[in-house]
Amino acid sequence: MILELKKFGKILNSRSSGREAVLRVRQIINGEKDTADDIVLDFSEVDVVTPSFADEFIRGLKETYPRKEIKIQGTKDNAVLREVLKIVEEAESANSKKK
Amino acid sequence: MMKAMDPHIEFLYQHISEWIPAGTVNFSHFTFMHPWDIGLVSLAIVKHQAEKGDGNIVLPENTDLRAYLKRMHLGSLLHELGCTSAADLLGAIQLTEHTTMNIQEILHCRYIDEFSARLGHFEKMFRNFGLDEEDAKRAVVIVGELGNNVFDHNLGNWPTNFSGSIIAAQNYPRLKRIEMIIADAGVGFMGSLRGAFPDLKSDVEAIKKGLSGHSGWIGVRRGNGLQTVQRWTIDNFHGALTIHSGNGLVQVDEHGIEARETVPILGTLAQFVLQYE
Repeated sequence: MILELKKFGKILNSRSSGREAVLRVRQIINGEKDTADDIVLDFSEVDVVTPSFADEFIRGLKETYPRKEIKIQGTKDNAVLREVLKIVEEAESANSKKK
Repeated sequence: MMKAMDPHIEFLYQHISEWIPAGTVNFSHFTFMHPWDIGLVSLAIVKHQAEKGDGNIVLPENTDLRAYLKRMHLGSLLHELGCTSAADLLGAIQLTEHTTMNIQEILHCRYIDEFSARLGHFEKMFRNFGLDEEDAKRAVVIVGELGNNVFDHNLGNWPTNFSGSIIAAQNYPRLKRIEMIIADAGVGFMGSLRGAFPDLKSDVEAIKKGLSGHSGWIGVRRGNGLQTVQRWTIDNFHGALTIHSGNGLVQVDEHGIEARETVPILGTLAQFVLQYE
């Protein structure tokens, strides 16, 4: 399942939008016949994502689909986007170790 | 090593009791205002109007500064706050409106959706100020996180009827320096963090706690946004992040952290300064 993040907006901001996006993904995935385990987040043509949105969205997906692997693509041309996702990933990893 | 506060902020606070005396907000002697000063005056006016509501605001006598404040659309905010006399004084100034690429006029975003919708505009603004594409995106993340905090921590809990964030920015092309502020008349760092950290003793301590990545949300894992703001401001732009909340004033830059107690304000004033090539 590939999710095109550009369809959620070119600038992805705020925790509330991140939570709303998770709810939308649930609708999309539940209505999709593709049963592949991976969820691929395609950030192509997304301009900016803030840590608040990314944290809420990615963590929300992991909590909703704990057995699916979340993969990222489409960030090659956007260094800032890669940095934000790395920050969120590191925070998530540090938090997992604390548990 | 203890570092010095930004010189203009240092000067402003040395004389703050002169321009926020009891019963009025009087900045008649000002001859120049940075975005920080506009944010501080705006919060003082919000507080004054919430307490007294008499619109007793004394504008600068300096005509160039008055024209600048008109250009910055201070009149709209004054109107909204019920300071009609002061707003009318600015409104009467004859000014040829022309597009200037070096300012972001005072913007009051009442709701987070309004704020988020402006981020695309801010990206263009940063490009116009002189940042390259990557740095403009980075600056949008910084302003986005600061703005998110305003709404996340005050939703449903604004101390007065004035909600939302006040935003303003100024580019100084010769200095290659951008100053941008986000002000809110909210609960402040202490109000936000006290529930999770009841042992906090001062606003300075609360600001430092927030800057170190701790969140006031109980039962919800959050944080990190302010740490990213700090790190990117300092590491990527050799800039500074300054926060005044309650009576705490804290500034962080590549030389370290400077903190002190000063006059109390309603809510929080945050500024990031970006130096660019």
